[in-house]
Amino acid sequence: MTGCLRRLWIVFAKEIRDHARDRRSLTLALIYPLLGPLLVASGLYMAGQTLNTNYRERPLEVPAVGLENAPALAAHLLAHNIQIIPAPGTEEERNGEVREGRLPVVLVVPAEAKGLDNFTVDVITNLGRADNLRATARLAEVIAIYNENIARARALAAGLPGDYASSIKMHKINVARDANIAVFFYNMMPPLIIFMIFLGGVHLAIDSTVGERERGALEPLLLAPVERWVLLLAKSGAALAFTAVTTLVNVSAFRGFMGLAAGSAEQLTQPPSWWVFVAIIVISLPLMTIAVALQMSIAVITKSMKEAQIYLGLLPLVPALPGMVLVFQPVNPTDLTVAVPVFGQMLLIGQLVAEQTLDPRQVAIASLSTLAAASLIFLLAARWFRREKMFVLG
Amino acid sequence: MIEIKDLVKRFGTVQALDGLGFQAKDGDVTGLIGPNGAGKTTAFRIVYGLMVADSGSAWVDGVDVAQDRMAAQRNLGVLPDVRGLYPRLTAREHIRYFGELHGSSGAELEADIDELIERLGMQDFADRRAKGFSRGQELKVALGRALVHRPHNLILDEPTNGLDVMSSRAVRDLIVEMKNEGHCILISSHIMSEVSVLCDRLVIAAAGRLIAQGTPDELRDQADAQDLEEVFVRLLMKAGALQGAAA
Repeated sequence: MTGCLRRLWIVFAKEIRDHARDRRSLTLALIYPLLGPLLVASGLYMAGQTLNTNYRERPLEVPAVGLENAPALAAHLLAHNIQIIPAPGTEEERNGEVREGRLPVVLVVPAEAKGLDNFTVDVITNLGRADNLRATARLAEVIAIYNENIARARALAAGLPGDYASSIKMHKINVARDANIAVFFYNMMPPLIIFMIFLGGVHLAIDSTVGERERGALEPLLLAPVERWVLLLAKSGAALAFTAVTTLVNVSAFRGFMGLAAGSAEQLTQPPSWWVFVAIIVISLPLMTIAVALQMSIAVITKSMKEAQIYLGLLPLVPALPGMVLVFQPVNPTDLTVAVPVFGQMLLIGQLVAEQTLDPRQVAIASLSTLAAASLIFLLAARWFRREKMFVLG
Repeated sequence: MIEIKDLVKRFGTVQALDGLGFQAKDGDVTGLIGPNGAGKTTAFRIVYGLMVADSGSAWVDGVDVAQDRMAAQRNLGVLPDVRGLYPRLTAREHIRYFGELHGSSGAELEADIDELIERLGMQDFADRRAKGFSRGQELKVALGRALVHRPHNLILDEPTNGLDVMSSRAVRDLIVEMKNEGHCILISSHIMSEVSVLCDRLVIAAAGRLIAQGTPDELRDQADAQDLEEVFVRLLMKAGALQGAAA
């Protein structure tokens, strides 16, 4: 091993040993990356449980007023698992309760309905709330069935075909919606993975540069015959190693937890295979280098650990935000779009999650452009690291 | 041997060094003394390659530090004023780390570490992590770190600063021992009794300039006083440097 490489290894090994004993570095590398996957997988699990439950089989409580005026309708509702409960006495109270979300819906049958086949009912609802929407839809559906039954009975009584009054019948076959729920959750993975990549090595980057300066440990280190760029490269290498571990834990947790959550409901599509997640890690390697280069450059120009923590705390949001936008507004990867450092990896990871085939040319363009940007940022950081101010306390 | 020639260094509007120059010879303990702001730490930092002088030069065993920093550092052991330990590394790991950075390895390095631990009386805490070390323990680790590569030249900035009586005495004994082995030792201290006991030569600096230099006896003659503290004050007054020093 040449002297330079040997010194690089010595500093790298020391940083790894040092931070493997640091609770904060370990928490950031091993515990934090589990939180995002747990959260998203919990959401997917709950969505799966909702799909698992046949909503129509569950009783729905509907507050109603004046239903004694329409006993046939009341019997029909009961037969369709809708239980009638008392509703507030005044219109103002009913509207208020529904508006505030305390009641999902209120059915009002007018006194004039007594003894009539044709009458109008009021359904008080608040369509701004998802639970109200669901209750209202179910109530409307059951009333529509009642109407159809009446129409059929009347048609038959008149010697007409039973479906005389209903020309078109609609039969909903929902195949896409349930699958899309899972895909929506899977699309949340890329920005969260990128967020963790920019967070994994943060503590090591701060602690081993501006932190050492603050504790007075950087000056003694500079007394050893080591090239300064070697020193920064070794510390960056250690931050990169922690970032890689963080990413590995994060990506594995996403696949593992998402797999478990998706397995809880037959209707949910399974997440992409483990191989896709291996590919995500490989595609993320240039992203890890630029994340560490940015962390190091910010850490070496800041004056204190506190200042560095403020800036570096915000850093993961910068690349994650475009990723969040991509969840709702997908952009197709082109040679030009993948050439934008960081953004290129986001697009490629998005493609992987969508189980699309990557174009090797675009992978090469994205990797080279991000690595080139990372090198440039590292060179700037190395230049700043040579400043006298960097090493000297006071 | 450590030699500095006409060092000039300015930080913004502050003139830290203004043509300071002196020699620290092998087998001597040379004391660089001066009031706060005299430029002692800045001069040391230029000698051990942490800073670059605006003009002038620093030499370690004939190596120009500005030209070949790493070669100069290989012949230099430094105890900086701020000890700066890694709280999660043990005392032994500190010494090993710096030994490795200086090119040592394997059984030879481990033997050197064991010898230093014994010599500095670190057996009780050698394998304990540095978090919570007393100042004396910190100093011993920092000394071990500075000596592990067997440097010929030593720079000790305030070597007994904050130490108790026993630890101070141990450090002074070590300095004498190393001087007798022929090392070149350059120290800075505010404790005149210590300077008086340890130093073969004294360099008095103020406001980045050389005020006087010589053996303690030569300086006593120059100042016409016996007490070294009095010598220091009189020479500074004579040079018109005391006003600035007090400020």
